[in-house]
Amino acid sequence: MGESIIAFLNTWSPLDLVLIAQNFDRFLYGALVTLQLTVIALIVGGLLSVPLAIIRAGKNPWLNAPVWAFTYLFRGTPLLVQTYLIYYGIGQFEWIRETAIWDPILSQAWWCALIAFSLNTAAYTTELLRGSIITTSRGEIEAAKACGLGKWMRMRRIVLPSSFRRALPAYSNEVIFMLHGSVVASTITIQDLLGVGRWLNGRYYLAYEGFITAAVLYLIIVLLISRGFRLWESRWLKHLYPLDAVKTKPKKSLASFRI
Amino acid sequence: MSDSTGEEAALEVVDLHKSFGNVEVIRGASLSAHKGDVISILGASGSGKSTFLRCINLLEIPTSGDVYVAGEKIRMKSGGASGNVPEDIHQVERLRARLGMVFQSFNLWSHMTVIENVIEAPVHVLKVPKAEAIEAAEALLHKVGIHDRKDYYPAQLSGGQQQRVAIARGLAMNPAVMLFDEPTSALDPELVGEVLKVMRDLAEEGRTMLVVTHEMGFARDVSSSVVFLHEGKVEEQGEPRQMFNDPNSDRFRQFLSRTMQ
Repeated sequence: MGESIIAFLNTWSPLDLVLIAQNFDRFLYGALVTLQLTVIALIVGGLLSVPLAIIRAGKNPWLNAPVWAFTYLFRGTPLLVQTYLIYYGIGQFEWIRETAIWDPILSQAWWCALIAFSLNTAAYTTELLRGSIITTSRGEIEAAKACGLGKWMRMRRIVLPSSFRRALPAYSNEVIFMLHGSVVASTITIQDLLGVGRWLNGRYYLAYEGFITAAVLYLIIVLLISRGFRLWESRWLKHLYPLDAVKTKPKKSLASFRI
Repeated sequence: MSDSTGEEAALEVVDLHKSFGNVEVIRGASLSAHKGDVISILGASGSGKSTFLRCINLLEIPTSGDVYVAGEKIRMKSGGASGNVPEDIHQVERLRARLGMVFQSFNLWSHMTVIENVIEAPVHVLKVPKAEAIEAAEALLHKVGIHDRKDYYPAQLSGGQQQRVAIARGLAMNPAVMLFDEPTSALDPELVGEVLKVMRDLAEEGRTMLVVTHEMGFARDVSSSVVFLHEGKVEEQGEPRQMFNDPNSDRFRQFLSRTMQ
């Protein structure tokens, strides 16, 4: 029975499903590497972006200019170039190879990819958040001033919570871009999800098997991400929904509500 | 009129000037409010009445002049080209907390529920324990008649309801003076009454209030005195009935005939 299925697949399927099945654990491991790099980069980049965005939204030219230069540089060049510069470029300096962080970090492809990805997503998220911060309702800020809330308290209690919420739908794009951008890792020897597809292609000269499997797994991850964001939005953007969506049909209609 | 009672004024503004660029909007206006006073500030649009109110809690920085809150002077210093600046922003914040402000466009914090809006400043400015702040906030929401909506978000409320929440938010700081900046101007006509009723109740229980308004009925019937601003100056002030029945200045007479028709 089992053998006849395999024989059938071998004869009739356009894809070599058996080969995919045999290597599926590699794909899953590749997906894990992809997710690991993406998630850690998003966390590091996200944490960096908050103070940077506050600086960019502020008026201090001495702080603003270097942050502007940083975001311009990282949004103005391809992620691939940034990754190459860090992975291949930095090692050319002997004094860097002699520092303590060379061996455990800068000589490792995984760390180089993580650094490049983190800085890249930090730059994009900084500008996204900056836009959100500077469009915070003037009236709400004035009300906070009038209550005697100080500058940092206003930022922490009013401006940032409001800005994060308004930036959330656009931020899901950044998360998906980062996931797709992480394929760059496969060009510097890392076996991420695309890397496994490339490996399969190189080994068996079968392009479809490797790349379609990778593509399907990316699709599944993106589906999970967008579902996750919808749930997040239904919690965080509750204050923007009309009342009937909240009162009459609680959770379900909220999660599926679209403006 | 300011020191006739001998006791310290809850709020005193002395010779306030405010310019935007070359345009002088407030040209030496003074005012004093004692505990329990309800002062209506009237004036045609462009007379500077909102700017005057916003200078009191330094949402606009006065070009010159002094503001005293419960006898304490807000210290200003010269800030070079940009005109005066507060000497100590912490003092400003402390005194702002003594002045409740209600805006024309409500300005509730949209990401917070009604009750969160009301407890925010008590908890984070006055450092009141949260449970205590919630208890006080619930009492205030009962008072402005909106307790049943305490877990709603501002966008889910009508304008009149939002403004009543904003009043509760101001009261939650137990301020020395409540400042109202055209509190009913953004409301549909049928919602004006519910907000005016709350303000009337506050006046009756002896709250000190400064009200910039177009509601002539409120100014005449509720306030203890009326200030009429014209081109950034106090043109006339006095007891409302006397002022409405027998205005001294021609400008106030004209203003009345235009607005009361």
